[in-house]
Amino acid sequence: MIELKHITKEYSSGEGRTLALDDVSLTVRDGEIFGIIGLSGAGKSTLVRCINLLERPTHGQVFIDGEELTAIGRKRLLLLRRNIGMIFQSFNLLEQRTAEGNIRFPLEIAGVKRRAAEARARELLELVGLSEKAESYPSQLSGGQKQRVAIARALATGPKYLLCDEATSALDPATTDSILQLLRRINRELGVTIVVITHEMRVVERVCDRVAVLDSSKIAEEGEVSEVFSFPQSEIAKQLIIPELIRSAEGGGGKKLRLVFRGESADRPIISKLAIECGVAVDILYADTKRIDGKAFGHMVISLPEDGEEKVKKFLEGQKVSFKEEI
Amino acid sequence: MSRLFVQLGAEGFLLGVLETLYMTVISTAVAYLIGLPVGVLLCITDKDGLRPMPWLNRVVGFFVNILRSIPFIILIVALIPVARAVVGTSIGNGAMIFMLTVAAAPYVARMVESSLKEVDRGVVEAARSMGAGTFAIIRKVYLPEAKPSLIVGAVISTVTVLGYSAMAGTIAGGGLGAIAVTQARPSGAEDVIWLCVVLIVIIVQVIQELGTLLARKTDRRLRSGPKRASGSKKIQNKI
Repeated sequence: MIELKHITKEYSSGEGRTLALDDVSLTVRDGEIFGIIGLSGAGKSTLVRCINLLERPTHGQVFIDGEELTAIGRKRLLLLRRNIGMIFQSFNLLEQRTAEGNIRFPLEIAGVKRRAAEARARELLELVGLSEKAESYPSQLSGGQKQRVAIARALATGPKYLLCDEATSALDPATTDSILQLLRRINRELGVTIVVITHEMRVVERVCDRVAVLDSSKIAEEGEVSEVFSFPQSEIAKQLIIPELIRSAEGGGGKKLRLVFRGESADRPIISKLAIECGVAVDILYADTKRIDGKAFGHMVISLPEDGEEKVKKFLEGQKVSFKEEI
Repeated sequence: MSRLFVQLGAEGFLLGVLETLYMTVISTAVAYLIGLPVGVLLCITDKDGLRPMPWLNRVVGFFVNILRSIPFIILIVALIPVARAVVGTSIGNGAMIFMLTVAAAPYVARMVESSLKEVDRGVVEAARSMGAGTFAIIRKVYLPEAKPSLIVGAVISTVTVLGYSAMAGTIAGGGLGAIAVTQARPSGAEDVIWLCVVLIVIIVQVIQELGTLLARKTDRRLRSGPKRASGSKKIQNKI
């Protein structure tokens, strides 16, 4: 379990102070994939670096499995870092080492014998599907391959945790998907707890169990992904999750309802039924369906005629469709 | 052909070349023994470095700058008594190597510092995230990753020392510089001066070519792909 308690990080530059994190507390449970999403400059990267103390928080405490990282000595910290792998947006591979050499690197630091390290590296290359690239240098690999090597390298010492700092932001959508699938597999098969930092909604949708939304150095919202996605409370979460919806809801007059379809309600023709049973004409302003965790999940914004409001709400309640009035 | 030219003969010029090479190589090597650790120190104690120690960085940087700002020809004169105390003599190759080293070490330190600062900070951060300590990061990240750049720097340093060694010939020591300045110039043997120039040019070219070849051969970033062109260009530009 990773626990961050009242983390504050201040940077003092020549002119003044910048508050990168402002009293942030969160808990990452064992075995889950936890997402931290926010716009650039929200403090995501600083936050993830506070977990393994690449950045030392100005105030606050970091606990890993109950041990306070912010209170231990340097030697112990270096040792504990072997239990927390990390991957990066720009991969950060050693350019002068082969793929295999890169994966051996953390093992060399941990003092593993050369032969054992080689065997482990081969094993990991196989896990990430790059066995035939063992002798390739990073300059000979594509972005997706580089990130796979980086993942293998991060897992070399058998860590319990894996931190991903915008790990897919430099990759195209197809490669992003394959990397996300790999992360999901690592989570399921090896039981590695993963923290994912991203500004891409689809990354959270695809792999995360829970998510925290970070906005101007603070946590704006936190919860199960399906919950936060259905009813984003904070302005920033709405902006990130349903940007088109916000825009469409802003224009035009009349009453607007935002409907959220989850599970089976997403598979039924609710709107046709509504039109027939209530005898009202609804105007669809926005609609979107996604699959999150294998379940259909939809958003719709409809505009209502003045007189049909009560009827429609009653009908929707009967159909067990969640809705919320917008503006 | 001047009398001096005949008098020196092939043997005389060969001795000059060997003395020049000897002074250059030994001085550069000793300068690296001192300059490499100092360069590493300057890099990692920088305010954005691995172990920021601003005061130490400033003090060391200050001394390096002082030595770097004294013109070599003046430094030689100033170092004559020091050389006598350290090496036991103020003339000859031993004294010359001492002076060359004093002049080259701070230059080498800055050269090393700048090579190490080219290493991607992200890679250093990745190593930190794996629990690598400062020493491991220097040995396994900074030095190997900067190797091609360090080799290029070593070539530039060697050529600089070679130039200094010729200059040093005016005061003490031997080599092609001494032949040209102390022997040929007073007797007006222009052919000797020009042959010395040609020989020095050839030595510089050979060092340069070998160094470039070595740097390119060790650099794994140039193996293939679109990076090849830009990578090798970068190195060529630096030289």
